[in-house]
This record gives sequence, C-alpha cells and structure tokens, in this order.
Amino acid sequence: MRFDPFYLNNAVASLDQTSAIEQQLTNEISSGKRVNSLSDDPVAVGENVLLNSQLNLDDSFSQTESSTVGMLQVADSALGSVVSQLTRALTLATEGNNGTLNASDLQSISMELSGIRDEVLALANTTYMNRYIFSGSQGSTSSYSLDSTVTPNTVTYHGDSVTSYVLTPNGQKIQANVPGNQIFSDPVNNVLQTLNNLVADFSSGTASATSVSDTTALNAALNHVSQQRVGIDNSITQLQSAQNYIQTEGTQIASAQTDLMQADVAQVSTQLSSAETQQAALTQVINILEKNNGNLFSLL
Amino acid sequence: MATLNTAFSIATGALEAEQAAVNVIANNTANANTPGYTNQLPEWQANDPVTIGEVAYGQGVTMTGPSSQRDLVLEQRIQQQMQLQQGTDARQGALEQVQNIFSSAAAASSSHASLDIGAGISGFFSALSQLQSNPADNSLRQSVLSAASTLANSFQSASSQLAQQQGSLDQQSGTIVTQVNSLTQAIAQLNAQISQTSGNTDAGQLEDQRQYDIQQLSKLIGVHQIKTEDNGLTITTSSGALLVSKGQSFSLQTSVSGGVTHIYDYQGSDITASVSGGGGQLGGILTVRDQDIPQMQSALDTLAFDLGTTINNQNALGSDANGAAGGPVFNLPGTASGAASSISVAITDPAKIAAAASGNGSSDDTNLESMLQLQNQGIIGGETPSGYYSRFVSTLGSLVSQISTENTAQQASLTQLQTQRNSLSAVNLNDQAAALENLQQAYQAASKVFTILDTIMASAINLGVQTSVA
Repeated sequence: MRFDPFYLNNAVASLDQTSAIEQQLTNEISSGKRVNSLSDDPVAVGENVLLNSQLNLDDSFSQTESSTVGMLQVADSALGSVVSQLTRALTLATEGNNGTLNASDLQSISMELSGIRDEVLALANTTYMNRYIFSGSQGSTSSYSLDSTVTPNTVTYHGDSVTSYVLTPNGQKIQANVPGNQIFSDPVNNVLQTLNNLVADFSSGTASATSVSDTTALNAALNHVSQQRVGIDNSITQLQSAQNYIQTEGTQIASAQTDLMQADVAQVSTQLSSAETQQAALTQVINILEKNNGNLFSLL
Repeated sequence: MATLNTAFSIATGALEAEQAAVNVIANNTANANTPGYTNQLPEWQANDPVTIGEVAYGQGVTMTGPSSQRDLVLEQRIQQQMQLQQGTDARQGALEQVQNIFSSAAAASSSHASLDIGAGISGFFSALSQLQSNPADNSLRQSVLSAASTLANSFQSASSQLAQQQGSLDQQSGTIVTQVNSLTQAIAQLNAQISQTSGNTDAGQLEDQRQYDIQQLSKLIGVHQIKTEDNGLTITTSSGALLVSKGQSFSLQTSVSGGVTHIYDYQGSDITASVSGGGGQLGGILTVRDQDIPQMQSALDTLAFDLGTTINNQNALGSDANGAAGGPVFNLPGTASGAASSISVAITDPAKIAAAASGNGSSDDTNLESMLQLQNQGIIGGETPSGYYSRFVSTLGSLVSQISTENTAQQASLTQLQTQRNSLSAVNLNDQAAALENLQQAYQAASKVFTILDTIMASAINLGVQTSVA
C-alpha cells in the first residue's frame, strides 16, 4: 500500500486553512463588516455603491429642501401682507366710491392708497439671501420700479417670466418660485397698476369716472394674489412631504445597507466557534502524529 | 562440478551486493527531505549460472544499481498543473492589490474614504442639487467646484494607483525572466551531463535535479518539453520559443518598449503576448499587466470621459451667473484614452457654472436641473454614472473571486498530483527501515555462510586434522 510519506505536511496545510478562516472571521467581528474587500461579495459591493449614492443625494436634498422652503415661506408671508394691504385698499376705494366723502377725505384716501401701493411695491421687491424672490430668474435685479412722474404712476417689471423648479432625488419637479409678473403685474389682474389707477382716481378730490371699475378690478386682483399664494403654499407642502418621504427612504436604505454589508455577529461567532473546534481537533491529530511519527527506525 | 572457491565467491559477492544496497538505503534516508529527490530501489540480479555436465550451478547475486522510482508522465502532469496554478495564483495576488484601490466602495456612506469615485460622482451631483435652492449663491457654487475637483482627483488617484501597480508588475516580470534564464542554463548543463553519463537509462539523481529544475521553471513560465535522443530534453515556452536544446540554453531577453517591459526570444521575436497566455507566474503577472489593468483603466477612462463630456456639453447649453454662455467644467483629452488620469477642473470662477437656461438670469436653475438629471440618464454607454461605477467594482470583485476559486481548485488538483508523486517517489522511512532490516539479516547470513565455508575449507586443507589450520 503506497501513501504519501509527507501526510503530516498536508495536515499542517489544513491547519493553516482553518487559521486563515479564523483570521477572516475575527476580522469580520472586529470590523463589524461582512464585506471587507470587493471579492468577498461583488454583488453586494455593487449595490452598496448605488445605495451610498442614493443616501448622499437624499442627504443633500434635505438641505435643498429646508433652504427652498425658507424662501417660499418668505414669499408666502410677503403675499400674506400684500393680501391684507389690498383688503385695506379695497375698503378705502369702496368708501371713496360711495359719494358721501368730501374732497379732502378723498385726497387723504388717495394718499393712503399711495402708501399701500408703496408698501405692496416694497413687498414685491422682497429679497431672501440677497435674491429678489419675485424677479423670475433675474434674482439680482430688483423686481419693480415706480415712475411717479406720470399720472397715473406706472411701475416697470425688471424680472422675467422664468419659473424654476427643484428636482427631488426621485425625479419629482416642484415649483420653487412664482415670477412677479404673474402676481403683481399680471396682464388681466394687474395689482400695482390698479393701485396706481385708484391713487390717481381720488387724487383730485373728486372720484373719477373709472374709480368704480378700478375698485372692481382691485377686488379681482386681490383674489388673484390669494390664488397665487395658494400655489406657493402647495409647493411648500409638496417639498415637505418629499422631504418626509426621502427621510423614510433614507432610513430604509441605511437599514438595507446594514443588512447587506454588516456582519451578523451571532452567525460569525458560531462559524468562529466551529472553526476553533476544527482547529483544536487538527492540532490534536498533528500532536498524535508527531508523537508516533517515530517510524520503524525507532524500533531497530 | 561446483567448487568451494565458487561458494566463497558467491558469499563474497553477496556481501558486496548487500553493502551496496545498504549504501542505497543510507542515501535514501539521508535525502528523505531533499526537494525533488526520488526514492531509489536496489536492484538485484542473479548471476548467470554455470552449466557443468548439464547441471546449472547458480553463481550468486549482483546489485545492478539503484533505480529511481519515477513516473515521468506524472512529473510532467505536475509541471503542467504547476504552470496553471502558479499563473492563477500570481494573477490573484496582483488583482487583490488592485481591488484594494477600490475597497472604499465597500464602505458605508458615513465613512467615505476621501477619494472614492462613487462618492465623488454622487458628491458632485449632490452639490448640484444643493445649488438648486439658490442658484446665484456663490458659496453653493463654490461647493460645486470643490465637488468637481474631488471627483477629478478621485479619477486621477485611482488611475495613478493602477499605473503604479502596473509598474511594479512590470518590474517583477523582469526579475522573473532573469530567474528563467538561470534555470534554463542549469537544465542545459544537466542535459549535457545526462547525455554523457546515462545514455538512454534513467539518470538517477541528475534526472531528479533536472525534473526539479523543470518544476521550478514551471512555476515561473509556461513550458513544453520534448524528449530527444541520449535522454535529452528540448524545452520551449508553451508557444514554442526555444529555451533549452541539448546542452545549450537560449536566454530570453527583455527590453522596455512603450513604457512596459517586452520579452523577446533568442531570435529577437517579441513573445510577450504568447508568454502572457502561457501560465506560470510570468503569465499571471503579464495577464494582469497587459489585460486586466488596461481593461480597468479603459473602463475608468470611459466613465471619466463620458461623464465629463456630458457635463461640459450641458454646461455649454446654459448661461453662467454673469449671463455669459457656459464653457467646459472639466479639462479632458480629445479621446477617452487617458481621460481618467488627466481629468481636471477647467474653471476656477464659481460664477462660470451655467445653472440658468441660456439667456435666463442668475437665479434660474433650468440648466442645472438638466445637469442634475444626467445622473439618472444612461450617459455612459447606456448606464447611469453611479450604475456604471457600481458595475465596474462588481465586475472587478467577481473577477478576483473567480480567479481565487480557480486558484483553489487548481491548487487542490496540484496537491492530489503531488500526493500521487510522493506516494510513488518520496522516501518512505518505514520502507527504508524494513529494507535495512532485511539487508542486515541477509548480510549476517552471507557472513555466516562465509564463516562456515571457512571452516569447511580448513577441514578440506587439513584432511580432517582440525588443529593445523584454523
């Protein structure tokens, strides 16, 4: 019967193998990671790259979201003030039209309306972090300017009609601004021009012939502003719910990543324990072999 | 008629033969652990009988010499398996170093290594995404620029680490060629000695050495062997370039061409490509140097080039913060080749990021949005940038894992073959002890025969008077 006289070397090679397994398992436990190099689980590593990328984008979206919501809230509160100013203006114009006021009263209504116009104009020029928020894409340019040399006064819009959007990591597009010419100088419901007209209507001390129709127009303009405000509120709500969704998604991704990449300590410990048993058995075998490895020569 | 003298000569011959056999056993025992040594068996042959008057009388024994227990077919199988296994092993070792370059892909996002390409890509798009909240903001624009520069650096770093790895493999290949040449010289010398001493019989320990040297050579490079007359061996590379013929060796030459070491046979033909596919450490190393790393470089080049070009093109479609048309964000070479090693950020002024659609003001993010959408589009050969990188690391990991599995299987098969060889050819000390015991008894018996013959001879000389001659 022939056999390999170097069988002890093979036993030692097996011992090396179990030692290598023990080392690998110890490494997994101490690092907490199941996958320590690409070849440990190539598919998991590939997925990990995608999960990391998604997490990274989700993280950055939460900053985009809070900053955009901040801007939209400023816009919303500006429009809130505009609505209350316009409501006051409507009251004044209605008073001016009821025919009971004398000239000086009408002139003071005109004065007050002019103050409201200035206030609305200032609100239309609201900035957020140095950006004129009602200028469309022209954020560095003030939205409106007033020409008081003509009667009725006129306003000029310096922005444009560009609407911008925020893209969520899931590809949803959420409107992030409303250009001023949709709110304050809409061709149908021109808030600022209607105010200018009303100022002019009452400035002479006699309500002019157009004052009633201008008041009706102001009412329509007020409704228009409220509608635009709803649009902005919708954007805020959409952004906040996108953010909630993305936070939930982030938690899920993080937990998927943990499942994918982290070592299951209980499982690894069990494997380590069986590797140790095997190691101990092998050591014992080698020990016995070495003791008896005295061959026939020892008996000669 | 047989004579007492014949009996004496038989006993003496037996003693000599036993001594020679003990010598063989002693040599076996001494070389029990010598690498490549093949166990030798004493061979016995009964001497031709002498026929006298139709009666054949035996003439004793001669030890005709030790014969090596060798199976040349098995030796050759081991050598071939060795070429395969060492090739795979060397490739595995080199690829494991390569995969370490990209090991940060296995990290969790919270512990991003500074220059991971995947993190670089998503970092760049994240910075673009943050710029959406206020496209005119200079500090947000600045962070886009620094993310772009991190992305470019991550490409450069991976690419230069790959190149370094390639360089060190290149150096190793040169060293291995030197070792190959010294082994082929040794084999040529052995060829010469063997043809002089042993004709067509097994050359014993010289053959041991020659087989051992071929085995060492097989670790380094893929070879073929052809048996020639006078027990010679012609050795060629597996693709046929001559290395040893009879007593002459033919050195491989190396010279650097195109930045890498090329290998030439003695006639000056470039055999780099065929050596690379031939196995052995040299084959494994050259495969990684000339095939695996260039493939990875080219994949990174494609990623860097396509991503950079698409971003440049998109930036060119928009208006920057000053209303001017956007220019390239990244400096790229004319073609994809070398893009990963040379990609850099082309702009220093953060205002030059064209976030707005062409003609729109600085607060517009229409073009930025389109740029951001690029991350979800199949812009790299039909795959998204992160998807492409994900497949890249996954492919690399699979390659290493596959080569490692191959290595394990080939190692197992090699171990089996070596076990077979050892059970045939290795020195079994028990056998030696038993043989020694037998020889001792035979020797003692032969001595006893001699002693008794001596007594008989004395009786014959003294004709029965016992005291005269003792």
